[in-house]
Amino acid sequence: MRRGSIASLVGIGVVAGGIAAAVALVFPWLPKPASREAGRIDFEFWFVVTICIVIFAIVAAAILYSVWRFRAAPDDDSDGPPIHGHTKLEIVWTLIPTILVTAIGVTSAIVLSQDDALGKNVLRINVTAQQFEWSFSYPDANNLTSATLMLPNDRSVQLRFTARDVIHSFWVPEFGQKQDVVPGLHPTLHITPDRVGTFPVICTELCGLGHATMRTTAVVMTPAAFDKWLKGQSKAVASPNPATAGKAVFTNNGCGACHTFAAAGTTAKIGPDLDKLAAYAQQAHQPLQAFVRTSIVSPNDYIQPGYPKGVMPQTFGTSLSKQQLDALVTYLVGGKK
Amino acid sequence: MTAMTVEHHEMTPRTGGRWSLLYRAGLIRGALGFCLLGAFGFGLVVVFRWWGGWHPLLDMQVITLVSLLVAGPVGFLAGIGAFDYWVYYALGFPTRPEDHSGHGARTWRDYFRVNTDHKVIGIQYLATTLVFFVIGGFLALLVRTELARPGMQFVDTQTFNGLFSVHASLMIFLFVIPAFAGLANFVVPLMLGAPDMAFPRLNALSFWLLPIAGVMMLASFAVPGGAFACGWTGYVPLCSTHEPLGAIFFNQGVQWAGASSIMTALNFLVTIITMRAPGMTFWRMPLLVWANFTTSLLVVIATPFIAGSQFFSMFDHVMHTAFFDPQRGGYPLGYQHIFWFYSHPAVYIMMLPGFGIMSEVISVFSRKPIFGYRLMALSLMAIVVLGFSVWAHHMFVSGMAPWLRVPMMITTLLIAVPTGIKVFSWLATMWEGKLHLLTPMLFALGFLSMFVIGGLSGVMLGAVPIDIHVSDTYFIVAHIHYVLFGGSVFTIFAGIYYWFPKMTGRMYDERLGKLHFWLTFVGFNLTFFPMHILGTEGMPRRVADYAPKFAGLNMFISLASFGLGASVMVFLYNIITSMRNGPIAPGNPWRGLTLEWQVTSPPPIFNFDQIPQVVGSPYEYGVPGAQHAVLAPSPAREVEEVGVP
Repeated sequence: MRRGSIASLVGIGVVAGGIAAAVALVFPWLPKPASREAGRIDFEFWFVVTICIVIFAIVAAAILYSVWRFRAAPDDDSDGPPIHGHTKLEIVWTLIPTILVTAIGVTSAIVLSQDDALGKNVLRINVTAQQFEWSFSYPDANNLTSATLMLPNDRSVQLRFTARDVIHSFWVPEFGQKQDVVPGLHPTLHITPDRVGTFPVICTELCGLGHATMRTTAVVMTPAAFDKWLKGQSKAVASPNPATAGKAVFTNNGCGACHTFAAAGTTAKIGPDLDKLAAYAQQAHQPLQAFVRTSIVSPNDYIQPGYPKGVMPQTFGTSLSKQQLDALVTYLVGGKK
Repeated sequence: MTAMTVEHHEMTPRTGGRWSLLYRAGLIRGALGFCLLGAFGFGLVVVFRWWGGWHPLLDMQVITLVSLLVAGPVGFLAGIGAFDYWVYYALGFPTRPEDHSGHGARTWRDYFRVNTDHKVIGIQYLATTLVFFVIGGFLALLVRTELARPGMQFVDTQTFNGLFSVHASLMIFLFVIPAFAGLANFVVPLMLGAPDMAFPRLNALSFWLLPIAGVMMLASFAVPGGAFACGWTGYVPLCSTHEPLGAIFFNQGVQWAGASSIMTALNFLVTIITMRAPGMTFWRMPLLVWANFTTSLLVVIATPFIAGSQFFSMFDHVMHTAFFDPQRGGYPLGYQHIFWFYSHPAVYIMMLPGFGIMSEVISVFSRKPIFGYRLMALSLMAIVVLGFSVWAHHMFVSGMAPWLRVPMMITTLLIAVPTGIKVFSWLATMWEGKLHLLTPMLFALGFLSMFVIGGLSGVMLGAVPIDIHVSDTYFIVAHIHYVLFGGSVFTIFAGIYYWFPKMTGRMYDERLGKLHFWLTFVGFNLTFFPMHILGTEGMPRRVADYAPKFAGLNMFISLASFGLGASVMVFLYNIITSMRNGPIAPGNPWRGLTLEWQVTSPPPIFNFDQIPQVVGSPYEYGVPGAQHAVLAPSPAREVEEVGVP
């Protein structure tokens, strides 16, 4: 090979690699990390992308150079030189990729083990997924339940998952970590948030017709704010005042995601309008209190015309304590007086 | 008696009474067979349910399954005559071992009959798969139409989920896999110097299972509750106990397509092992033959696993078994393990034949021997072996045993090495060659560059931490399309253009071919490259609605996808007009050395007048006086050859 051809080959390679690198740098590829795990995943991502850009540049340079340099004239019927192989070259391009993928494998295994290693003073949260909603409960705080994932900053968090129906998958893009939630298994996921903010929680495993709407938010707050939230919520749930306790149950179980209820300030329209419960009860010929309770515990017994059957989870009868249920019913009924 | 039967059969195309269409093998008898056996299946279900005291007597699921999806199609196959020979044999009627009436196609009608000629079957395969390619592409455009803007505009979620599920199933099971089988069907026996495949009647049966599978998957749109909507992966329990009737159309469609694949692969294996021309050792086989040999090994070993997974899933659905139902002790991840034990090797089933096409095209259009022939063949075998040890990299976030992740990552990353060897060897084949940039070569170069991007994003996905972040996002959608469109579909286009003169006896329009390439290449990149970014930024796949911040890129992708769809029209126009009016093709327009180019275009009905004698490697371009094979050695030519030093 002549020196000139090496120079132009390298030149094309630099240009191709430069374009690929520009594509990598100009677009915002990864969300700004909000956990230590995401930070490590980002490192691994850019480590592998760099290797990929180099390989792509080599291949692109070889293709473009060949097209430019070895293109035959239309009337050229001659053949190329009969080269059948080159053992040394073949060993080189077997060995170098082997070394590169080994490097990728080793760094990945290290990142993986660091991401899975729990820190001290772990906060454990039980996550329940069902078509099409998330619920988070805090076993250290009397199984306080919340429809949004509240997290303290800079603390190791272990999520333990339960699926009630089909497979779901928990993902917060800013946290990097992801875990399928398989019925019958209880997988765990480790996250150490390191940035205060509000982030989307997304279901990433096709779980049925409402899959795209199976979203909630994760809120990372300072440890002090988190403690305050925990205490405030625990107090509200245990409050003798049914309005306060009922409102906490309403909010924490995500009722507002589907229902309009003026007292709680929610306006969603997927399920029946809870400001009209008295009218519904009359239509169903049931006393108001019993009607509301049955509708929560066994929602398919009576379906208000105009709304779909089987959408509301049928699990509140078991997931809510009797006290919580009483408080919720009082709250819903009382709201209309 | 024998003579009379033969006479009768030879006469049937022209004579017969008013009712002969009903009993003569063909599509009409096929429809009749479907109805008769479908009715029999219906009766069987009713009688058994009545006898067993089961209620309700008319269970729609069971009746649909037994009558429409199993018995009916068998009746159709019997009706079109796929079993005629075997039935004659089994019943003791005279069979005609020397009967070649099923060979060759005289009119277009012959392509709608059971035909045992591998060349006719190859064309049948390609025409059928192109129809499903167009339908599958149309479904994809509907998906992109809905995704152009956030929120729901055109379809409801049930329809949307059905659209992308059927799109993927058609493209995989009814286009990529069988299109390669079609190309190989036409070419492999020719390359081996054989008159046909080893089992021509099995070959015909394999083909006729395909339209059944495709129609079944499409028909699911028409059943109550809508098409199967759980993705082509059909994960349980969503697809078993939480889906309406449409899901079993997927379960059964996969069975028919899978059975077709397995029978074709067995046919290829036996053909390649036993029917090579004298002198053609394994190390003298063209790499396309090697590619189909290794692919067939994969199909025969792996495909029974997806059959098993779909049977179990369907049993859970229809018969209320509990293989995968966690509430009754089933294990949902068991499905995923069995499914991916097929579906990862399936990626190579959809890629290795393309590798074979690339080796032929790049060598011929570079006018150079393939670089490192033996290593090229051995790397195919390495991919086959390694391909069975990587399935769980689809399950890094599935909740399987955590210790499985690192070993699976290592095998996944290692499989990049033999793939890399192939890419570098193709580059070296082109080096210092005489490149002719005709349409097949353009698609080959497009394949090389796009497949490298798909392969590299595959290495990224092999690294567990990266995979955890991008699993089930649009990054996966981008990756699979770079591998299966930029990889497989580009090689299918290259193969169709390359062998078009051989198949039809006419040349395609070179300018339209180049236009098709550039439209496809640009449209493909504009459509699928931005999906990488969508995925890493946080857009999950298989959603009908998405966050407003992704609106700009999605609109861009949708517009680009319509351009990509339009490029297929150029291709269809080119092949349809060229097939009828293109210039007559010479026997060997590309000056190739392999055996299929040494016969006329299209080839004679039994391929070779006399069995060729293979004397050397198929890729000796640039070696003076080199020959791959000697055909029809007439005494005169032998003398002449002896005379030449």
